Amino acid sequence: MLAFVARRLSQAVPLLLAVAGLTFLLIELAPGDPIVALAGEDGDAAYVAMMRERFGLDRPLGERFVVYMGRVLRGDLGFSYRLQQSAVTAVLGRLPATLLLIGPALLLSTAFGLVLGVLAARRPHSLTDTAVSTVSLLGHAVPVFWLAQLLLLVFAYRLEAFPVQGMRNVRLDAQGLAGALDVARHMVLPVTALTVQFLAPIARVARASLIDVLGQDYVRTAVAKGLQRRAVIGKHALRNALLPVVTVIGAQVGFMFSGAVLTETVFAWPGLGRLLLSAMLARDLAIVSSMFLLLTVAVVVSTLLVDLLYAALDPRIRYG
Amino acid sequence: MAERWLAVRGWAPRRRSAPSPSLLVGGALTCGFVLLALLGESLAPGDPFAAAATPFAPPSAAHPFGTDDLGRDLLRAVLQGARVSLIVGLTVAATSLTLGLLVGGVAGYLGGAADDLLMRFTELVLVLPRFFLALVVVALFGANLANLIVVLALTSWGIVARVARAGVLAAKEQEYVLAARALGSAGPSVLWRHVLPNVLAPVAAYAALQVGNAILVEASLSFLGFGDPNLVSWGYLLNNAQAFVRRAWWLSVFPGVAIVLAVVAINLLADGMRGRRPANGG
Amino acid sequence: MNHAPASRPRGLRRALLPLLAVALLGAPALANETPQRGGTLVIGIGQNPGHLNPAISTGSEVHAVADSLFSGLIRLDDQANPYPELARSWEVSADARTYTFHLRPGVRWHDGEPFTSADVAFTFEQVLLRYHARTRTGLEGRLERIDTPDELTVAFTFREPYAPFLQQLNVTEAPILPRHVYATVPDVQTAPENLTPVGTGPYRFVAYVVDDRVVLARNDDYFKPDLPYLDRLIFRVIPDANTRLLALERGEVDFIGGLPAGELARIDALPEVTLYTPNSGSGGGFCVMTMSFNLERERLADHRVRQAFAHAIDRQQVLEQVLFGHGRVATGPIHSQLAFAYSDDVRAYPHDPALAEALLDAAGLPRGADGTRFSTTFLHFPAFAKYGEVLRQNLARVGVRLELVALDRAAFITRVFEQRDFDTNVISYCNNADPAIGVARVYVSTNIGNIPFSNAAAYVNPEVDRLFAEAASQADVEARGRLYAEVQRLLVDELPYLWLVETQFSAAGRAEVRGLSPWSGSPAEAAWIAR
Repeated sequence: MLAFVARRLSQAVPLLLAVAGLTFLLIELAPGDPIVALAGEDGDAAYVAMMRERFGLDRPLGERFVVYMGRVLRGDLGFSYRLQQSAVTAVLGRLPATLLLIGPALLLSTAFGLVLGVLAARRPHSLTDTAVSTVSLLGHAVPVFWLAQLLLLVFAYRLEAFPVQGMRNVRLDAQGLAGALDVARHMVLPVTALTVQFLAPIARVARASLIDVLGQDYVRTAVAKGLQRRAVIGKHALRNALLPVVTVIGAQVGFMFSGAVLTETVFAWPGLGRLLLSAMLARDLAIVSSMFLLLTVAVVVSTLLVDLLYAALDPRIRYG
Repeated sequence: MAERWLAVRGWAPRRRSAPSPSLLVGGALTCGFVLLALLGESLAPGDPFAAAATPFAPPSAAHPFGTDDLGRDLLRAVLQGARVSLIVGLTVAATSLTLGLLVGGVAGYLGGAADDLLMRFTELVLVLPRFFLALVVVALFGANLANLIVVLALTSWGIVARVARAGVLAAKEQEYVLAARALGSAGPSVLWRHVLPNVLAPVAAYAALQVGNAILVEASLSFLGFGDPNLVSWGYLLNNAQAFVRRAWWLSVFPGVAIVLAVVAINLLADGMRGRRPANGG
Repeated sequence: MNHAPASRPRGLRRALLPLLAVALLGAPALANETPQRGGTLVIGIGQNPGHLNPAISTGSEVHAVADSLFSGLIRLDDQANPYPELARSWEVSADARTYTFHLRPGVRWHDGEPFTSADVAFTFEQVLLRYHARTRTGLEGRLERIDTPDELTVAFTFREPYAPFLQQLNVTEAPILPRHVYATVPDVQTAPENLTPVGTGPYRFVAYVVDDRVVLARNDDYFKPDLPYLDRLIFRVIPDANTRLLALERGEVDFIGGLPAGELARIDALPEVTLYTPNSGSGGGFCVMTMSFNLERERLADHRVRQAFAHAIDRQQVLEQVLFGHGRVATGPIHSQLAFAYSDDVRAYPHDPALAEALLDAAGLPRGADGTRFSTTFLHFPAFAKYGEVLRQNLARVGVRLELVALDRAAFITRVFEQRDFDTNVISYCNNADPAIGVARVYVSTNIGNIPFSNAAAYVNPEVDRLFAEAASQADVEARGRLYAEVQRLLVDELPYLWLVETQFSAAGRAEVRGLSPWSGSPAEAAWIAR
């Protein structure tokens, strides 16, 4: 097992390097001078030349690429002058806020998704099934920012049930338990928007794999042996049906982050979304490439976790 | 007895010939959407950017979807938007279908080191955060549809490649293929003749899903301010509606509903297509 | 729509009725309210400030926050009249070449160090004249030397008389930095000290959470007695304009600037919110949306083509549909509120599509088979897309296809000023308090090239150069007015640019917040919350 993990991780390294290189090229080839962002628009020619030399931006492309990749290999993803901190610090510093949205949304959508999937699978092609499928499909088809704004208008504005924006009430600046409750109140609407978005693929895959599994021979045998319906679903079917669900969740990581970016914009939630957008406008290569790498790492890690979960769930699967 | 119980509940393997409701509904809706997009010009002719009436006119007989802040007819705009969405979606789907089949098929057929290399490359493409890449490209290289299509097309073929490869690998093991090869029939064409029918359905389903995804990505980019201002797209309409969300509800509702219906239709269709594979008997 | 410069909140009318009722019931007179101390004011801003050094940037996002931490030599009111701030009095020599400022004694920096004339000299020589766009362009070459005869006196001597100097000395144009903090810094632009600012302003720095909020607290040692009233000032970053407005209506923030034009009427009618329409804001003032023609392109170098554009474009429609009436159709480069310099004795270009078509035909640009004469690119910030859309409509009527290109700030600067790869564009050129500060830079021939937000059209006219130079070096206001009138006449005749509309700033605050000065970069200096 350990050898498997080690091998997979080592396979990830060239992948990450390729992503880093791609990011570098993208920013390089894009119009818009990073010096403008760094030196301000109004530096005179001498100052701009000095800045260019200082940041090594006067070197040829090839040389800069090599230097950049070398630093990435050493774990140095660059320094953001705009924010006066290393890129990794900046990104990791904002990560918890985004995870505060994605984490609960993931848990809730998995829970609801499984429930809906079971409901639909119990009687396939029935009214319940169609209703459940349609509802979860709708959730996926609605643009998440549209939904977010709708929730904002209805629940925060009209009904005044929840706050309009932000992660906490800056006026009160509550600490401890009160602070946690404050954050929780602010989380409700954005997490709802994200949950609705993530629900559909999970519900759909749960339903499909449950139906598949329930059509299998061993299930028929179990039923023939006289086992209760609930036992059939619960004990045998669900466990095996979970495998594709877990895969779907793992594959959704990129999708989840994009949903978070859009939701964060609507609710002014201080997470990675805003960081990326302002970094792009400022041509802050360090931040943009760090975020890309972070996301790639997240995808690779989640795929690995998925594979490990597979082994845990299905005793037939063993990795060498 | 058990068989009947299972069959009644629909858990028994479905007969191959019964099309699922998803396929029918999805197919119908999608056809409707395509028709509207193609016929949009004649149904509500004119330049969608030209002023048609007074600004902020609510839905009425003359303007079923109302008008926006510059007096432009929303129905006309939504129909034009359908066309833009269709173009983007189809281009992306076609490209990912072609690239995916090519890469996956070749990898599966050749096997060995070539397979390994191609699959590694596919993994890279799969791992790239697609939305963020589109965002960065559009923000840095210019907010126009061409950039968006290129980015999406180049990053959406990964899954298709995987499925295609799996199909080829499975077919290689089939008895009749082995027999054919033993008899000396030509390699690739035999494979494709047997592989394609099996692979086409799920591959087409995934490609169809890209259309829906492309529509949502375009809308999201427009929301963030990176949409193409020279084309009427649904995302452009939603973005425009934001400033007037409390004054003119119809500006947000109709384009939003259009997006939802189109994506639902496509997803249903894709679901139905996927459901047509041989029943899973073990 | 009425465009009286409003330095008083428009919601006052609405407040009068309840006041009347209270007075009748015998409650104590509320007419002269006494400011109440304490409380926290939350200001919603649309962009993260980045750094907090207002002397090295003209970006409104920096000034929106940083101007509350620093001070200038003087302070301007909504009509751009100067009042003492760090300087308690000043004299101008008879030939208008020397300005002597007597600084307030006993002023301290937030870290306790005393403020002296050395700080002023250092800020101008080492920072402003190198990094602050408008101040640099205004003073470079004109300023001969700065003398500091003693700790409380600063004298600026110019080579020639320079009339608009006072208007350039507020905290937005010339904030004073602490010498003892920055003198030893190797590079001011990237100094970490920019994130923990030390100033002399009404509020001192407490915390800065990037992309989230900036927290300031009352400066108890502030040199103006009694001010400020508030305990804390918090700037909350809310990028989405709708969310920002909703937050204001729900009381989660107390003050926001830059409202969507379409919402102004509705906001004005809300009892819990007061609408302000000052002439300036944190990034500048007296702004005119200006369309530039790239005169290096053959088609646009033809005067008839430019005139055709002017007649084809319906500026009244722009005013109504983009600004919802909040502003004024522009007649030329100088804002109508700069009374001494503004002149409407210029050529008019009424909305006349038929005339535009005739001009284009005469210029040898007939309609093609599909009805189009030619295509033109139109570069703009994403925020100004609406202007492009109206112009596109107008120009389509006369057969010109306008191709909109939305670019963010960095890309825009590169394409327009460095590469000069554009046909037309739209820029909000702010006059600021004096035409010599914000107007001249757009039309003088020395400003062609890679100087952002300068002469985008590449317009060259020695006569115009001469008029601007002379107007800046005159002391007599009337003489300056005549010179500016002449320059406006010339420019509007030649039409190197097309001036679309004069824009208004808009801001809104909760009704219980009093004493705001929304035209200034430091709106909360005298603000207090009525409970």
